[in-house]
Amino acid sequence: MALTRRSLLRRGAAGLLAICCSNRSKARTGIGGVFDMVVAENPGSGTGKEIPSGDEITLGVSAAFSGPSRGLGRELYRGAKAYFDHVNENSLLGHRITLKLYDDGYQPDPCVRNTMKLMLEDRVFLLFGYVGTPTVTRVLPLLKKFQNERVYLFFPFTGAQPQREPPYGEFAFNLRASYRQETSGLVENFVRVGRKRIAVFYQADAYGRSGWAGVRAALGEHGGQFVGEATYRRGQRFTSSMRAQVEILKATSPDAVICIGSYAACAAFARDAVDLDLRVPIANLSFVGSENLLQLLTQDREDPDSYTRLLVNSQVVPSYEDLSIPAVREYRQLMARYDPQVPADLAQEPYQPFPQSFVSLEGFLNAKLMTEILRRLGEDRGRAKLEEAVFSVQDFDLGIGEMVSFGPNRRQGLQTVYYTIVRDGRFVTLDDWESWLG
Amino acid sequence: MKIEKLFQKTRFGIFALFGMIVLSTSLLCIYTVDTQLSSEYESNTRNIAQSIADSSVDILLNRNLASLQSLIDQFVEIQGIRYIYITSERGEFLAHTFVPGIPREILGSDPSSTEPVERRIPGMGDFIEVGSPILAGVAGTVHVGMDMDIVALKIQRAIGQQVILISILLVLGVLASIWLVNLAAKPLGGLLDYAVRVAADPEKDGASEDELLTRDDEVGDLARLFRYVSGHSSGWKKPGAPTTRAP
Repeated sequence: MALTRRSLLRRGAAGLLAICCSNRSKARTGIGGVFDMVVAENPGSGTGKEIPSGDEITLGVSAAFSGPSRGLGRELYRGAKAYFDHVNENSLLGHRITLKLYDDGYQPDPCVRNTMKLMLEDRVFLLFGYVGTPTVTRVLPLLKKFQNERVYLFFPFTGAQPQREPPYGEFAFNLRASYRQETSGLVENFVRVGRKRIAVFYQADAYGRSGWAGVRAALGEHGGQFVGEATYRRGQRFTSSMRAQVEILKATSPDAVICIGSYAACAAFARDAVDLDLRVPIANLSFVGSENLLQLLTQDREDPDSYTRLLVNSQVVPSYEDLSIPAVREYRQLMARYDPQVPADLAQEPYQPFPQSFVSLEGFLNAKLMTEILRRLGEDRGRAKLEEAVFSVQDFDLGIGEMVSFGPNRRQGLQTVYYTIVRDGRFVTLDDWESWLG
Repeated sequence: MKIEKLFQKTRFGIFALFGMIVLSTSLLCIYTVDTQLSSEYESNTRNIAQSIADSSVDILLNRNLASLQSLIDQFVEIQGIRYIYITSERGEFLAHTFVPGIPREILGSDPSSTEPVERRIPGMGDFIEVGSPILAGVAGTVHVGMDMDIVALKIQRAIGQQVILISILLVLGVLASIWLVNLAAKPLGGLLDYAVRVAADPEKDGASEDELLTRDDEVGDLARLFRYVSGHSSGWKKPGAPTTRAP
């Protein structure tokens, strides 16, 4: 067949589409053909009964350990590692749990490559603790492609819908509440206190679109729509200017802005909004990494509250300051005891970890539930029984006051969304929206 | 002595001929490459829009806008494509790749139009935008914007490469022609020198004349003929002229 530019373009396009839409017949003629080739070179694959070797269970992680969002990957890892260290040290599972880590810098293509490596070369038992929507949404078709392997993705740090719905929902298990729930709660509260003119600032990718869709749907339930929208490219740093975005939204006279982004970009937006006199509540989702955001907005400031007075962040785990919660006490104790650090080869860029954070608490809870599922898997540690083990989790108490249950039509463990504002340089729970915005 | 006058017009003629060939070939090349590549880029853009439209149906019906965004984000990485946006059947923007916001030129356009449109968006550049309906338009429309600057650059590069090749051939052709003309002119120059010397002193022969007289081409024939003629006419005098040697 003559190889023209057009035919090449069509083949590439067909492959891209096939990955996105799991159209396998098209994939074989396009990019998907590459995956077929890799499988053929690994004849042991496809059994669905891979058993961890020796006394170790290896979980594969691809997350942002570098780049502007490195705080998320590192904190999530630290929280999970604290609990796994506890499990290993006290032989709570009978087997050691190890993590095979790769850095994707919060970029989709490296994440796909890392996942291929984890599945086909490292042959990890399952995938765990991935970070981000644009990364995870690109990995999901891979899981479907290798569905005979039964490699599941556990507890990704994203609240997007693709890993909660067909056609990929069956390959992932989520613990945290969804972005749809977070945005719905934010809109609900804003509308309740009379702030109906809501604008959206979001990352121009699948994550941003997921949150955008959540806000749109929530406002639609109230018979409205957002008054303005502005976007930014993934990977922006705090030093980036968001003045153009602020100007776009300011022109629409919003009562509140909901941000769906990473901490560096959202902090830059909050800073520029205040500087350009857009003084309305600015809400961020849990993915933002509240402590990282707060640090950027308060460090080296004469008035540390100047940029944070109108911040409200939704969270999917309770406050790590609330010592009445058993899991929080356990988390703080184990974080202090083990103080896990990211391996040196993944920690090239400078980063000062937080003693406690919402992100590391989420990682901790992820690890705790993962351990429980592996415990339920018992000695027959084949992947084929993994789903069954997950579905056996019914009304399980993680120690945060909300029972966790899974089932074929319930692939998300927690449903609660919490709201926090900044007081005295730290995030505290917001219970009374009227008083706050009164 | 050089034969400048005889070959000056020849050189000019060769140069003019080659110049005309280069000019006409270049113009034809520019027209052909520009037309065909422009058509191909537009066609590719249309194919991409069609591909996205075909694959968006299930995603749209499932209201999975994150997957839709992920889909168009992958296509916008293809070189030349600067923006993609998808509108619903009611004209609402469901997914797009614009930063920091949707330009006014796009907001003010007909969201259901699928005809190719040339756009100039301040701060972004010039684009050719192609649309493709999703599910015959009842589920929305995909719009793909191809950067005309990049397309123009690619076309200019393709044309430039061809013009450079033709120009190199021109230079080589002219140099070769000059060399070939000089190759013919050199023995003629020698013949002229010889003729002048023989006319001045028919008895004087040198080694250089031997080389000329032993040539087996037309120049050698002319030299021998000239020697023969000058030897038999040494006593000939022009009527009314003083007694002297020819010429």
